[in-house]
Amino acid sequence: MDSGLHLVAGLDWGALPQNLILAIGLGAVYALIALGYTMVYGVLKLINFAHSEVFMLGAYTALFTSYWLGFSPEALQQASRESNWLNLLMMLLASMVFCAVVGVIIEFFAYRPMRDQPRIASLITAIGVSLLIQYGGALVLPVSPPPSINEAVNPYRGSIPVQLIAQNPALAAEAAKAKEAFDVADAAFQEQMKAERSEFDLSPRGLELRTAKQVAERNYRTVRKKAEDSGRELSIPKGQMIMFGTTVMLMAVLTWLVLKTRTGRAMRAASHDFDTASLMGISVNRIVTITFIIGSALAGAGAMMQATFIGTPLTTFYAVSLGVKAFVAAVLGGIGNIPGAVLGGMLMALAETLVVWMGKSEWKDAIAFVILIVVLLFRPGGLLGSAKVEKV
Amino acid sequence: MNWPIRIGSIVLAIVVCFGIQYLATTMLKSDGQRLVALAGLYVTLAVSLNMINGITGQFSIGHAAFYCVGAYIAGFVSLRFFQAQPLQPVLWLVVMMVLGAAAACVAGFVVGLPSLRLRGDYLAIVTLGFGEIIRIVIQNTKELGGAYALDKIPAIREIWLVWLLAIVTIAVSRNLLKTARGLAFLAVREDEVASSAMGVNVTQIKVTAFVLGSAFAGAAGALLAHYETSILPTTFSMDVSFIILTMVVLGGSGSITGSALAAVSLFYLPEYLRSQPPVSGASLAAAVIVIVAVVAVLRRIQHHYHGTVAKKVGLYIGSIVGGVVAKLILGALFGLIPAFAKASYTGDKLRMVIFAGTLIIVMLLRPQGIFAHHEFSWTLIRRLYDKVRGKGAQGAPA
Repeated sequence: MDSGLHLVAGLDWGALPQNLILAIGLGAVYALIALGYTMVYGVLKLINFAHSEVFMLGAYTALFTSYWLGFSPEALQQASRESNWLNLLMMLLASMVFCAVVGVIIEFFAYRPMRDQPRIASLITAIGVSLLIQYGGALVLPVSPPPSINEAVNPYRGSIPVQLIAQNPALAAEAAKAKEAFDVADAAFQEQMKAERSEFDLSPRGLELRTAKQVAERNYRTVRKKAEDSGRELSIPKGQMIMFGTTVMLMAVLTWLVLKTRTGRAMRAASHDFDTASLMGISVNRIVTITFIIGSALAGAGAMMQATFIGTPLTTFYAVSLGVKAFVAAVLGGIGNIPGAVLGGMLMALAETLVVWMGKSEWKDAIAFVILIVVLLFRPGGLLGSAKVEKV
Repeated sequence: MNWPIRIGSIVLAIVVCFGIQYLATTMLKSDGQRLVALAGLYVTLAVSLNMINGITGQFSIGHAAFYCVGAYIAGFVSLRFFQAQPLQPVLWLVVMMVLGAAAACVAGFVVGLPSLRLRGDYLAIVTLGFGEIIRIVIQNTKELGGAYALDKIPAIREIWLVWLLAIVTIAVSRNLLKTARGLAFLAVREDEVASSAMGVNVTQIKVTAFVLGSAFAGAAGALLAHYETSILPTTFSMDVSFIILTMVVLGGSGSITGSALAAVSLFYLPEYLRSQPPVSGASLAAAVIVIVAVVAVLRRIQHHYHGTVAKKVGLYIGSIVGGVVAKLILGALFGLIPAFAKASYTGDKLRMVIFAGTLIIVMLLRPQGIFAHHEFSWTLIRRLYDKVRGKGAQGAPA
């Protein structure tokens, strides 16, 4: 049995900063999806179950755009290509526009006729739309084998190393020396190899040289590991940084839109009180459409970045669990609350990454709900939301 | 009071159950029998969720969790102790049902507690979360089979018991509504604050609803475990919860008849479609276009036509017939396009699409559910008949 103390002692504290960086990228995706849920809920009080399917369609749009730009598997087989940021931008815009269109269509055909009906009826419609897109999409979209966006389209591969603690100079020097010795042994072995018939049938001299090379290599690896452990290096994946940056930018635009523009004010009014807003001359239909455009476009952006920078294989069902977690994130932050959605998304990603870091990755999906239930029991309105007291 | 009628209906219920068993075993192969049993389980699940959602007005979307708890507890205990116990298999199955129900009761109590603090969508997401947590816990427990199946559960396949459970669930729901205590459940649904002011113990009612509803789901789970002999955590995923919820809402929230009938039809729809011949792309495209158009027309008639009921029904039928004709013509036209004519979709692939489409269409045309809040009764049928005959328009019948 492992006790709590044992658990803490077994942790790899050195790997923590690296994990936190990974959480940022995931958190950005959760936040972008959660914003869509929270905005629609804020205005319509509807859990838009089809939102994760909009996200899924966004990922497919990004995939097809990348094919169109010449990064399909067939095209890449004939000639490898280098990509640039323009391709990524085009994929991003295509996803956002397509998702916005899909969101508006869903709202018009499935949710608008249900607006005067009990909310449970619209919820069932939402589940229906979600299932329809999942299974209907599987009829026409490529699902097996699951396609994924080729990483050639992403010019920002790899990561930036950042040195936190410099390596111990003595150990570093030792490592350099060990490397030299290994290089010499390796060169001698390679020289001998030219005279040998095959690697599996060596002469005594060849065997000796190979053993020497292997010893030198092992020594070099041990010393290098020691040197590396004396210092601490972080590698920051470029893709994650771009995801985070784009999310922050979109968030800033959204905040400006909601807080500073006329449309934003109308949106807040509709969210506060739908009927009164319409009496005050706000065209609520227009506001709902705009809400769906923004929410779906954000999901599209999240989908494109997730599919490109994290590189998930796509099926029409892949967004379901992502969507549920993002919705949980929105509730966690206080549904209907825009900063709450971002906070919830980040927390959710953080909790998940920490669980994986603790070596309990099989509990990754449960942690989201545990946090949610605990938070809701103590703050029924979510972290940033306020629980309304029912008046008689 | 009416003891002969009561005893008569109990005898009738048992006779009906054995009748179903007899018909299923003589007329159907083992696949068909399994479907009959599963349909009975879904009736139990839908009617028991209706107790929580429809009658008490709580918003639970994690009903599969209770089903799961019942199935795993019963399966686990049976796997260990079935060989060593002296009871008849049927009696043992009943004991397991009670055990599954008790375990699900505990789970229901735990899930019901947050409902004291949370309302509406927040409660919904918490029940969903509980369901997922239970599933993940089972997935990570090696003793329960982990992510693999808990299998080699002794097979005790009694279709009559499945349907008896369904009938008992229906009877308990119905009789609950006939008592003064049952009215308190309805009162909580209509207005919590007002009913609490009238002296209803809202806390107690809500938790009772959760415990009662989950007990029946747990018993259903025990039956499932012994029918299938092997159960997986994914058998009880979120989709199952959604499908049960859909059955309740589609049948009409609060209507026991509606839940039961919707459970049977929604369960059989995908199974029926599975064995259907493939459809050509042309026919499919035509069907989609026509269905969208017909639904739009039906909605227009529903909301903007103010003639007599008989004429309205005539218009409905007319537009559906028109739709069928239009579909045939469009299908033939699309058949001329080679890409459309070549594509073909099997029933197995289309079944969930049609299922989802049915949900949306029914909700668009009848948001209150097929039965709304009505129950089956002969009076209802006579009233409907009168309405179509045009007497209802004059406002007479009581």
